[in-house]
Amino acid sequence: MIRLCDLKISYRIGSRVINAVDGVTLTIPDGSIVGIAGESGCGKSTLMKAIYGDIQAPMHLSGGTIEYGLKGADGRPVTPATIRREWFKSISYVPQSSMNSLNPVIRIRDQFIDFPGTDSNKKRVLERARDYIGRLGLPPEALDSYPHQLSGGMRQRVMIGLATFFQPELIIADEPTTALDVVVQKEILMLLMDLQEQMGNTILVVSHDMGVHYQVTHKMLIMYAGRVVEFGDTESVFADPQHAYTRMLIDSLPTIGDDSMRGAVASAAGAGGDRAYRVEAELIEVKPGHFVARPAARDGAPA
Amino acid sequence: MIVDTKDADPVTMVVPPAPKARASLLWLVNPRLAVGLTILGVMGLGSVVLPLFAPADPSVQASYMRNLPMSQAHWLGTNALGQDIFWFLVFAIRNSLTLGVVVAIGVTIIATIVGLSAGYIGGRFERAVMLVVDTFITIPLLPILIILGALIRGNTSFLTVGFIIIVFGWAWDARTVRSMALSLREREFINMARFSGANTLQILVREVFPYVMAYTLVGFINTILFAINLEATLAVIGLSKVEVPTLGSIIFWALNYNALFTGHHVWLVAPIVATVTLFLGLFLTSTGFNQAFASKRGVA
Repeated sequence: MIRLCDLKISYRIGSRVINAVDGVTLTIPDGSIVGIAGESGCGKSTLMKAIYGDIQAPMHLSGGTIEYGLKGADGRPVTPATIRREWFKSISYVPQSSMNSLNPVIRIRDQFIDFPGTDSNKKRVLERARDYIGRLGLPPEALDSYPHQLSGGMRQRVMIGLATFFQPELIIADEPTTALDVVVQKEILMLLMDLQEQMGNTILVVSHDMGVHYQVTHKMLIMYAGRVVEFGDTESVFADPQHAYTRMLIDSLPTIGDDSMRGAVASAAGAGGDRAYRVEAELIEVKPGHFVARPAARDGAPA
Repeated sequence: MIVDTKDADPVTMVVPPAPKARASLLWLVNPRLAVGLTILGVMGLGSVVLPLFAPADPSVQASYMRNLPMSQAHWLGTNALGQDIFWFLVFAIRNSLTLGVVVAIGVTIIATIVGLSAGYIGGRFERAVMLVVDTFITIPLLPILIILGALIRGNTSFLTVGFIIIVFGWAWDARTVRSMALSLREREFINMARFSGANTLQILVREVFPYVMAYTLVGFINTILFAINLEATLAVIGLSKVEVPTLGSIIFWALNYNALFTGHHVWLVAPIVATVTLFLGLFLTSTGFNQAFASKRGVA
């Protein structure tokens, strides 16, 4: 269980401060797939980086806490300061650009072996890796290839293989299917779902694609301007969106034969670059497990 | 082609890697590399083994009659100093090659470490290091070497010359390696390596170095060429230790005794042919390796 309490992450460049994550309070339960959506620049990736523990200048943790509910090798609870030691052991990361995330001059098998902290017996690791990528739907020869000899989908499978090799409790997938065609995209997502079912871990999936969220996730987190707009069970969020922004995101899914949405989206979002919505940091529970940002006085959008 | 490793006997499981490694080495060889390595092998081995059978130290003057023509006893004749040209040449190739390899090792190690760390770590560290590197690059090499040679001439060992070439030769390679590391630093797979918990040293050794290794090997060979060339230049103008046989010092003595005008062509032609052959061997090896690395990854 990950507990974020009034988390504030800012970027500081000179005297300028940008609060990319501005007071997020959230509890992510164990064993679920949580989808995170929101427009570009809303703080999704920053939040993911912060949870992953990769906070480096100019990024700063300017307030709040992150609790992982994990125990490190020394038996003490993992904190943002010690999360580094758990990287790829109990927390791992599937990157956005699978195409470029494998070292092009090293064979896949050596990238498995090169993992810090793996078994020193290379042959045993290799055997396990060969066995494992077979389960991910890759031919065993893929292990002996260089990345450029594999297709985009295969490379993303390899990345997922690397990320899940040690059965981490938390996997962060930052747009894991960008740049893949829809068929491969579906395969990759099904693979992630299967793995989650087998291992019972938590997966955070960042995606712009609401269709992906609807199919894959158990819970939805909608972000806007560094704050949480809505958080709840995916079914409930899609069936009964509480916030105008959420409604707009869901409505942006095209329906065959219905072109009434054209043109409406941009105006609703405030294409002028202004923030179309004011989002308060405080959440209220509208239904069990379904939270929405407290309506601002001026906004009055939620029903 | 899948071997079921679970049911296999543990002993047989140990065997497969060996032929695989041999096969992958054979895969490396292309005609260019084969010719280059053969030339280097013959010259290298010959110049290391043959001196053990030398009838006399070829650098001692007046061991034989002067200006003898080619014969059974003296394959390339003797020179105006009463030295056997063939044996002098053998020792010269050995010394020049040794110097080249020593300098190349030194330059490659320094350039790789400095270049990789400056490029990857960046920031203030990089700026400080690059200031030094750029200073060394802008120093005009030949005038400095001529002054240094004039200063230490006669009371220096042959390897000091090598040391001086290292000091003035590492900066270019360091700059090249750094530029490679600089672009690698921003690649996603380096980020991924960091995310998987690797520290800076591990990333440099395991992720960045394999990328620059092909260049490093080719750079190594090019540095041998550079060192032999530079030593020969210094020797020809009389600024190296000319008593020691090197490819350059033969030419120095031949010119000094007007071999060109006295009709003693072998004295001058032999070291030039040897130098050209050696350079050809190194060049073919260097480009052959380039080709081999490319074909290993299946891109050529």
